Amino acid sequence: MRTGVIVPAFLALALVVPRPVHAQFSLDARRIGMAGVSLGRDGSARRYNPAYRAVKNRSGCGPGQPKVTIPIPLGLITFFQDHPPTHWGSDPMFNHDDLAFNPVELMNLVLNPPLFYELKRAPTPTNDIEFTIGKNQLIMNLGQSRVLIPEQKFGLGMNGRLLDLGYGVGGVHFGVMGFMNYEIEFALDTALRRVLRDTVPVQPDSTYRILTDAVVQTGFMPTVSFAQRLTHGTGAVGADSTESADDGLYIGGAVHYYLGATYARGVGPAGFTVGNPIFGAAPGVLLDARAQTSNKPFGKGVGGDVGVAWISGPFEVGFGINDLGAELTWSDTKIQRIQYDAAGDSISVSTTANHVETKTKLPVSYLANAAIRMGTGTTVGGDVFNAGRHTVIHVGVEQRWSLFALRGGVARDQRKKMQFGFGAGVRLGAFGLDVGVFTHSSTLSETRAMTLATSISVY
Amino acid sequence: MKAFAVALLVVVSACGQGHAIFNIDVLSFMQGTGKDTIPYFIPPGPGSASASTVQSITLPPGFGSSVVDSVRITIGSANLVNTGGSGTMGFQLFFAADSAGTYTAPVALNVPNTAVNGVQTVAVSISGDLSGLVDSLFRQDSVFMRVATTGTNTGLTNVTGTSILTALVIRVVLQDKIF
Repeated sequence: MRTGVIVPAFLALALVVPRPVHAQFSLDARRIGMAGVSLGRDGSARRYNPAYRAVKNRSGCGPGQPKVTIPIPLGLITFFQDHPPTHWGSDPMFNHDDLAFNPVELMNLVLNPPLFYELKRAPTPTNDIEFTIGKNQLIMNLGQSRVLIPEQKFGLGMNGRLLDLGYGVGGVHFGVMGFMNYEIEFALDTALRRVLRDTVPVQPDSTYRILTDAVVQTGFMPTVSFAQRLTHGTGAVGADSTESADDGLYIGGAVHYYLGATYARGVGPAGFTVGNPIFGAAPGVLLDARAQTSNKPFGKGVGGDVGVAWISGPFEVGFGINDLGAELTWSDTKIQRIQYDAAGDSISVSTTANHVETKTKLPVSYLANAAIRMGTGTTVGGDVFNAGRHTVIHVGVEQRWSLFALRGGVARDQRKKMQFGFGAGVRLGAFGLDVGVFTHSSTLSETRAMTLATSISVY
Repeated sequence: MKAFAVALLVVVSACGQGHAIFNIDVLSFMQGTGKDTIPYFIPPGPGSASASTVQSITLPPGFGSSVVDSVRITIGSANLVNTGGSGTMGFQLFFAADSAGTYTAPVALNVPNTAVNGVQTVAVSISGDLSGLVDSLFRQDSVFMRVATTGTNTGLTNVTGTSILTALVIRVVLQDKIF
């Protein structure tokens, strides 16, 4: 029974993971208040553009960058009040035996961790699903959940660098980064999409398919990078602490030795075919998928990053390309074929090869960023990030008046939806308190949610 | 069939909390097999006579832990095509886990008798709430239904004719719980 669920799970995933969802998740309320843009030369810039390792952090007054940002997890307080850990065993949120258990709600919790306080929650689909079944009739009315069915080919992907530890001497930096990459792509054929989304009756003598290609890999990568300031701008000559002290052109490069911890990949079509009449005979299930899983860790590969940054007075711009040539070789992989066995009405899983070598690639990602300090306490910036999927764009502005700051921004997320942010902050000596509000579509809903983020910065 | 039914099942689970509603056009499975037609023959005299037909209904598996909210016949009708005699004719529906069980199961729905006389066609409406009586059966992979016509003869000649089902849709509402 368990394996029997694998086939239709492809179909279910089309509902569970309906569109490219990507949480623009940051722990910094300042960044959140600008819809995700980072105006500073923080870790995010250095992870994706090695040239920034040669650029000094801004410090002192003005838009100085904090040493540490500590999120205030107001959302966790609310979450644990609503869902005490001692009651998780019987909590409908986690207990699938409970009649109120809603898998979509649980998936939303994963996609949008409740760290910050939700001012407006996206509604969780709770509706009735209706099937009309006759000998020559099958109609699926998914009700409100129809909005979860994608209108076109869709995917869910993330290529992130989860940590960046290291130490630099001169222009050379030694470190370790963690990486996590997943790419899940679905393509429903038009007929299946119309059945699920438009409540079109299943037609006799028809085939309905979904094509899936999914890969998940994670690991870490020892890194050696080098960054150099190539030129000094005119404003930087003799400058020490002025705004122009950093003027110049910077370049950087990094070489990574990838050590993959584990990976899995599944590729294949799934679907069903019906005869005439539809239930005159048992509808056929289509499945011929291939699954690859690593038996051992330490898939190995080499790749690199390059970046450039240019700073001229109040203006700076940067561009980084990551994971160039990053191909991991997994020396011990198991390859399985997953098929539907019509005779036994069951799923068969057979190993076609074991202990064989396979390769995976990491998608090349790009980060372009720009910022300008207007001289009146105003800083405007933006970035464009693409990790092999839809491009994410952030544009934000910060206005400072002495101890106070106001922020705002807009973004286009991976779902191509516009998101908005605004916030404020106050700095008292070495500490700052910041509040940011942002909209997001990080849940399985067409409706935006709105989250209040709070954090303390230590300067 | 099982895998396909499971596919429907997972669709239900993937769409969040709510009800799974199945409108099953039972008649469509009976048409063309002769099971939608029940001839009757009732000789004169006291007592009643009956004839019946049995139909299996395939249901999605995995709802064994679900709660059946309701089982109703939402659309149901039949024609009593009487070819002779006078009397009354009615319908009874029985449900069980297997075919034989439908002959020992209690009546799930009793459609009151309708008078027939001579050569005529009488339309009969079939509807009713089966909830509580057959809930556990509709959590299984399949259920068997027996439709019986019962009648009496109030005249002196044989009551003969055919009852023909013209519509029969069963609506099952579940609070789905599949894991």
